[in-house]
Amino acid sequence: MNIFSEIYGTYFRIAARLLENEVTDEKTVREIVMRDGFRDSVLFLPQKLIPSGEDCGLFRRGVDNMLRRITKKSPVKVLTKLQKMWLKAKLSDPRIRLFLEDDVIEGLMEELADVKPLYRHEHFRLTDRHADHDDYSDEKYIAIFRTALDAVKKRKIVDISFTSAHGKHVSGRFVMLKIEFSPKNGKFRAYCYRLGNDKIKNSGLINIGRIDTITDTGRVFRTPVSMDDYFSSRKCSTPAVIRVTNERNGVERFMLEFAPYEKHTVRDLETGQYTVELWYDEQDETEVLIMLLSFGPVIEILGPEKLREQAKERLMRQYELLWKNEQG
Amino acid sequence: MAGFSELIKNFDKTREYVRDFFIYGCKVRSDFDKKSVRTYDDEKRRVESWMQDYMRYDDSAKGRHVSISVDSGHISENPLYNAYYSKSFTDNDIKLHFLLIDILQDGRSRTLRELTDTLNSEYEQLFDDQTVRNKLKEYTDEGIVAAEKQGKTMYYSLAALCADDLIKMYRGLDDALKFFSEAPDLGVIGNSIMKAVGIKNDLFHIKHNYMIHSLEDILVPDILAAIDDKCSITVKKFSWKKDDEFSEEEIIPMQILVSVQTGRRYIAAYVPRRRRFVTFRLDRIKQIKRESVCADYDRLRERYDVNIQRCFGVSFGDRHEVGAVSAIKITFTVDERNESFIIDRLEREKRCAVLEKTGEGLYTLTADVFDPNELMHWAKTFIGRIVSIEGGTEKIRRRFYSDIRRMYRMYGGIEDEHIQ
Repeated sequence: MNIFSEIYGTYFRIAARLLENEVTDEKTVREIVMRDGFRDSVLFLPQKLIPSGEDCGLFRRGVDNMLRRITKKSPVKVLTKLQKMWLKAKLSDPRIRLFLEDDVIEGLMEELADVKPLYRHEHFRLTDRHADHDDYSDEKYIAIFRTALDAVKKRKIVDISFTSAHGKHVSGRFVMLKIEFSPKNGKFRAYCYRLGNDKIKNSGLINIGRIDTITDTGRVFRTPVSMDDYFSSRKCSTPAVIRVTNERNGVERFMLEFAPYEKHTVRDLETGQYTVELWYDEQDETEVLIMLLSFGPVIEILGPEKLREQAKERLMRQYELLWKNEQG
Repeated sequence: MAGFSELIKNFDKTREYVRDFFIYGCKVRSDFDKKSVRTYDDEKRRVESWMQDYMRYDDSAKGRHVSISVDSGHISENPLYNAYYSKSFTDNDIKLHFLLIDILQDGRSRTLRELTDTLNSEYEQLFDDQTVRNKLKEYTDEGIVAAEKQGKTMYYSLAALCADDLIKMYRGLDDALKFFSEAPDLGVIGNSIMKAVGIKNDLFHIKHNYMIHSLEDILVPDILAAIDDKCSITVKKFSWKKDDEFSEEEIIPMQILVSVQTGRRYIAAYVPRRRRFVTFRLDRIKQIKRESVCADYDRLRERYDVNIQRCFGVSFGDRHEVGAVSAIKITFTVDERNESFIIDRLEREKRCAVLEKTGEGLYTLTADVFDPNELMHWAKTFIGRIVSIEGGTEKIRRRFYSDIRRMYRMYGGIEDEHIQ
């Protein structure tokens, strides 16, 4: 029982798709391989499916040159034990109630009554998750989450009132685009556009846990939205440029910690130092800055000047605090 | 010489390569000096095929750098899942898979002989009993086929639950799958269900997303099973240097520790040889072998549950687990009127430490933990606010002061020569 098994593999999946129809043709085989396969699958898989002497025998060529499946029916998608065990484990995750009504959870529990969950909550310990994570079991939170999710799915225009991170009460008309979850913060947030006179005023991110009310206006936002453009518009205009040294295993630690970020790395063969360009959401600048400072002198922020200045200002303050204190 | 294949037999080797491309982002062929050139080229080609748009190439004097550059907070599907979907197989494997499902999907159970005969008579496929028996055994273990003995004869039928029926029947399950397939903890399994029924995640993104963890997930089910069954396991680590011998250790696993900030995951375990609790990074473990049931498991688990409360992160320190520990105290300055968000931050990030107001605009965090050094990476996120550090060890304090001096100079400060 292992997820690294051919039964979950791309080739089996493509074969299953093709076997849904009694008859197919070479063109369709190639198209589906191109669409659902890996980049190079079209060089390898079609000859395994199309009768050629090298094929695995799932299709026979008819007199009309069409390909007929050797099976009689469309293949069913049986859930494996591993998949059922995973589902059962997720049914005990408090976040499941954000998606499923209690009677649905009960029904699934009955369906999977004889299945052992793949894991229990206590098998894992998150060592550094923030303590003020969302309360996923709060009924008001669940209701707001579901309304927000529905708004994302149907691109509904909604009226929202919420309390900002600075404690300010904000209300307005929004279109919600995607929902984001952070394991570090244990929080769900919604990427959205704020609307004014039915036009996009600006983009934003609203914590689901800070929403006081969310009301469906009954209207749908029909303007096409490119999420790539949306995220690009929120990204820093100039990347942070960081010099990383290998002191205290700095390179590995840095690369691993910053793995979620888009970055470009160049290594100086003379010094063994790495220079990393790091792109981040403008709104996360302080978070990135303090993450960088936590590496101490192992790394140096080379630019942009604004970010380096912020680091410098904190260092000056820190130096003064320590040595003023020591002298005092 | 056999040609290139997209599919792989060995997941461990791929894990090592993908990790290096993904994490370091600037490896060239010669960096993989412990591997053959052919292996490098083949692995690179596979990774390129799976990652497609996320690959980046840069030329340097030393060669072409290959890296994976992904803004993982804004992707809909973890591309590293593709590694799991690349297992090689034989012609018989794929043929028997679809033929057995085809025969059994009428709901009737059949004996091995009936199945082999049906394959022959209705599908014109000749398989010997042993081949079919092996496949049925494999599929019974996978839960695709149910086996039931009637008298002395084994009858086989198809497992009842189908993914598409379940999703149709239970409202909201598709959305839950979209979320949990990208969220941490074995999301690839959820993704495999979605792929089977043709659903794509169009709703969720995961911030602070350590996608690379998905490669370590290959080990996790076996660790979880060993914890459940109170068994010891032998962990075999990757060799990190050219001539490294693989090192092995028998351990008794207690929990999986996840750092959602540093991107590392660990097995926390009792190590009988060292007679103490130790953590092992999952990304450094190549294989896991299940050993015997540990008779003393419950007592060790009780001790672990007590000890883990005194870990700020994952370290049980250098001392024996019941040894003396000196508390570290870090005092922060906060403008209480305008910076209540700093106090909030300390509260939410302090973990097992205690936070007290110790003066006008002063807050002291006391951590009575096994390894006070673990606080220091985090403490430096408060640079500009740290008034003093007491306790811990002399070495920790000295390094902190030295680090601040070095950083002060690095960012252009001119040190007062009298301050040492």
